[in-house]
Amino acid sequence: MASQEKKEVSKEGALKKQSLINIVRSLLPVIGLVVVCLLFNILTKGGMWSSRKLILNQVYVVLISATGVFFIMTMGGLDFSQGSILGIASIVVCVLSKTNIALAVVGGIITGAVIGAVNGYFYVNRKIKSFIVTICTMFLFRGVIKYLASNSPVAASMQVYDYDTTPIKLGITVAVLAIGFVAFRFTKFGINLKAIGAGEKAVKFAGLRTDRMKFLIYVLAGAITGLAAFVNIVKNGSATANVGNQLETQILIALVLGGMPISGGAKVRFENIIVGSLLYIVLNNGLIMMGLTTQAMQLIQGVVFLIFVAIFADRENLSVIK
Amino acid sequence: MSDIRLEVKDVSKSFGITRALKRVSFNINKGEIHALIGENGSGKSTLTNSLAGIYQKDDGLFILDGKEIHPHNQLEANNEGISIIVQELGTLDGLTVAENIFLGHEEEFVKCGIKNTKAMNRKANELLKKYGFERIKAGDMIENYNFEDRKLVEIVKATYFSPKIVVIDETTTALSREGREELYKQMKRIRSEGDTVIFISHDLPEVLSLSDSITVLRDGDYIDTIKSSDVDEDGLKKLMVGREVSGNYYRADYGEEISDEVVMSVKNVTVPGLISDVSFDLHKGEILGFGGLSESGMHEIGKACFGASFDREGSVTLADGTEIKDIPTAISHSIAYTSKDRDNESLVMNQSIRDNICLPSLDGLANKARLLSDKKLEDFANTYAKKMSTKMISVNQFVSELSGGNKQKVVLARWIGKDSDILLLDSPTRGIDVKVKQDIYQLMDSMRKAGKSIIMISEELMELIGMCDRIIIMKDGKISGELRRDKDMDENSLIAKMV
Amino acid sequence: MNASAQTTGKKLSGQAKGYILLFVLVLLSWGIFKIITPDNFGSAKNMLSYFEASLLAAVGAVGFYFVMVMGMFDFSIGANIMLSAIVGCVFANRFGLGYVGLVAGSIITGALVGLINGAFYVKLRIPSMIVTTGLALIYESVANYIAGGVEQTLPSDLRVFGQMPGNLILAVIAFAVAFLLLNYTKIGTYTYAIGSNEFVAKNMGIKVNKYKVLAFIISGAFLGVMAVLTISYGSSMVAVTGMASMSRNFVPTMGCFFGLAFKKYGMPIPAIIIGEFVINIIFFGFIALGAPTAIQDVITGLALLIIVTLTTKVAKGEIVK
Repeated sequence: MASQEKKEVSKEGALKKQSLINIVRSLLPVIGLVVVCLLFNILTKGGMWSSRKLILNQVYVVLISATGVFFIMTMGGLDFSQGSILGIASIVVCVLSKTNIALAVVGGIITGAVIGAVNGYFYVNRKIKSFIVTICTMFLFRGVIKYLASNSPVAASMQVYDYDTTPIKLGITVAVLAIGFVAFRFTKFGINLKAIGAGEKAVKFAGLRTDRMKFLIYVLAGAITGLAAFVNIVKNGSATANVGNQLETQILIALVLGGMPISGGAKVRFENIIVGSLLYIVLNNGLIMMGLTTQAMQLIQGVVFLIFVAIFADRENLSVIK
Repeated sequence: MSDIRLEVKDVSKSFGITRALKRVSFNINKGEIHALIGENGSGKSTLTNSLAGIYQKDDGLFILDGKEIHPHNQLEANNEGISIIVQELGTLDGLTVAENIFLGHEEEFVKCGIKNTKAMNRKANELLKKYGFERIKAGDMIENYNFEDRKLVEIVKATYFSPKIVVIDETTTALSREGREELYKQMKRIRSEGDTVIFISHDLPEVLSLSDSITVLRDGDYIDTIKSSDVDEDGLKKLMVGREVSGNYYRADYGEEISDEVVMSVKNVTVPGLISDVSFDLHKGEILGFGGLSESGMHEIGKACFGASFDREGSVTLADGTEIKDIPTAISHSIAYTSKDRDNESLVMNQSIRDNICLPSLDGLANKARLLSDKKLEDFANTYAKKMSTKMISVNQFVSELSGGNKQKVVLARWIGKDSDILLLDSPTRGIDVKVKQDIYQLMDSMRKAGKSIIMISEELMELIGMCDRIIIMKDGKISGELRRDKDMDENSLIAKMV
Repeated sequence: MNASAQTTGKKLSGQAKGYILLFVLVLLSWGIFKIITPDNFGSAKNMLSYFEASLLAAVGAVGFYFVMVMGMFDFSIGANIMLSAIVGCVFANRFGLGYVGLVAGSIITGALVGLINGAFYVKLRIPSMIVTTGLALIYESVANYIAGGVEQTLPSDLRVFGQMPGNLILAVIAFAVAFLLLNYTKIGTYTYAIGSNEFVAKNMGIKVNKYKVLAFIISGAFLGVMAVLTISYGSSMVAVTGMASMSRNFVPTMGCFFGLAFKKYGMPIPAIIIGEFVINIIFFGFIALGAPTAIQDVITGLALLIIVTLTTKVAKGEIVK
């Protein structure tokens, strides 16, 4: 009987430990953000605060496109093609902006959605792992971008500069996040997504058309990044051969820094996007301001990424880790 | 000299909060076939898996020939002289027959790190010949053989090195008559060589005719060990189910008329490889049972009626003429399904009880703006979880932390919350303790009285006999017979139609 | 495949089927481009040079196959090749160790990278593709530090592995080692066992984690050999950053998918070698057509997608993430 009691106690202890991990999971990224902000402001003697506008300017694209990837990762998928989606959509926005700005916005979104649909088709219908599909499309469309923009950057109409104001860029970003937050937190959309991440088969047996949902999420993520392309072009005025390069890695690192479990599921929180993206950009800019070289920054990025992945991984959700 | 081969002493094992074995103690002798019986979830496989190193026991001792053993995997168990043939497929794709037989024991054929495939295949072929399985070739890839042949390879793998104890865990249900005969022959050979067979089976006549002694487990407790010659089927049943065998454990009524009203009509349903040309009607307010061997295709019946089968032919039609072709249609027409594979197909394990219960009802719970409030979801989940008397800390707890019985209660709470009229219950009491079983039986009975229709698919004949208005027996994917509720019905009449 | 004496007629026909299929693929890819651009494509001499070029990725692919069969993935292949080639070059050049430095430096670095990949994957219990993504960032950075930001060039007197017969000899040795490991050691058996069902394999007493790490080490060492061939063939290596090394992942990965698809015929390694050859015929075919370099990436991405699509069996109800 004694051993039984002991087991009961240890069970309770395990539960306590579990809730402690959950608290760490939700607090660590926030604390990290505050600490990093303070640290770099002290180190740069307030230099960072005075260049906040510049830093904020880099956050928009990452924040917007991370929202779509966040939905994908919540259901346990991955998307490495976001950079190429942004690139192609940016080129489309540039070309169409010469006709009409509204058309350019819509064109960017549709372009993104179409590439997302390609991803979704191979992932859902052909049953190929999402990361394989998306590294293929990443490379494929990266080639297209290089081909289209290799000789000279694709310039947008001068009109787009009219939109290069903080209210517009911030407005679009906040709107995407707000809609995303409400849908994720207060409608069945969020519950269903998390459930797919935690146990797809059971969700299917609870009546959800999971394949359709998965496909649509890839289309949605593409469309959101297509919208981000407009913000990107407003900011830069043209699309070079490097447009959107590495965005996928940035988003992945940002979400992980925000406390996102890599396998998605029930422990995902919408705050992961915002905190993570801010933390990533602040960290990056801080390191640049400190005068670090590219390779040193990449080294730090890699190490921090691995540490955060290790802390936040939801290992109960992964029966066999491949 | 002692006849005792294995002493099981105070062995305990828990999975999370489920206590699968509670201080079990008994002895197994040399040169005997020792059967281990009990209902699903009584702890039989947990015990043998712990003995064979697949699980690690939490507490207690296994003493083999006077020496304590604690194998950490099957290989270590093999080296101690214990081998096991499990219920599921125990051979690995991508390897040859010979590689499968000697997996973990390659040392014999390795010289300077180089594996002598030739010698390995020769040895394997010799063994296969000795067992009379010449048609299986050592050098072939194992995936070229069917389930039954692969089981025969497992028999070779588990017995060629003359282990002191061979555990055979429900292997017979997967085998044809010839395969069974082969297995029986091997079991008797092992016994005649003075070694021991531990035999797990649901088939009580088989147990009685084959074994020397029988140990009964119930809900993880050791009940008794008896000589096979001293007991009959009824005696065993009493031991397995315990005191609740009488009284209102199952439903008590007999002779009630089944309504003429058909709520679901299944016509010529075929699912390739699983069931062929199955037709039946489900009436209002009846409990329709499906019984058979686990490979008989009966488990596919539930999926087929729920629109969850792939490549289904034929039709499943409701009283109002709706055809059930996919799961969303089924659910929107008040059909519920609980899967045999509860942890994967019924429940999202790493998610809260709240979300699991609310999943199919989310549309109804949303307000006009299609928004959901946490409070409303929690109240809804709480209402139905409490109605099912689910043992939990709160509805925000993860389902993975619950015991098997409480998990099943969450599944049922979900469908009661959805107010389902037709319930397709596949193995609803699998791996559940006696107390919760009784709760589920009573729930089924009250739902039946409220005019709901239930299909109950089960491998446990006793609960089918106890609960159902009609029982359909499946064999090789086809319906092989139908029986009406009757006080005097016994298992033999069902088994006769099953094999 | 592994039972020379026990090979039954049925199995022979299986292997023969595989070879015929691959031969048809070679013929088809050659034929199509030969018809479109008959003048500057597909002579015997051309074909030999395509084959030589395909040896590079084939060597990496036969190693990576061990990791892929177990169901794991590696995003750091490109970073590994880059790092190993640079270390090998530095050993051979700056430290004056010549060929020994080149070969040993590259292979040991490759194996070490594999060890780190495996150890992090096993210890942190995170999906391998995520771990290797993070580590690839680090490897790229380290390669940059070692290279000091300048292109590492292999001296012209150390390029014997860049042409016939040096490259062929090294490649054949690598293929033989892979074949031996796969068919005539426990490692091969356990690799397939773990790939087939990890739980059962573990229950059988196989130290799953140990063999997973071992698979990464083997893969890394072969990528080290690929690094030797790559830098010898191309004569220099630039240390890129920003995951640009990922472009080197594709071609070896494609070969691996060939290997996985032909596993059922019992001939994964020949399938990888011939598969890489086919891929190269197609690449050079497009070059002969005068396709711009940017289009090469499009073809690469598309080719992998097509190969994976063709080799993936769509099983109903299967959950894919």
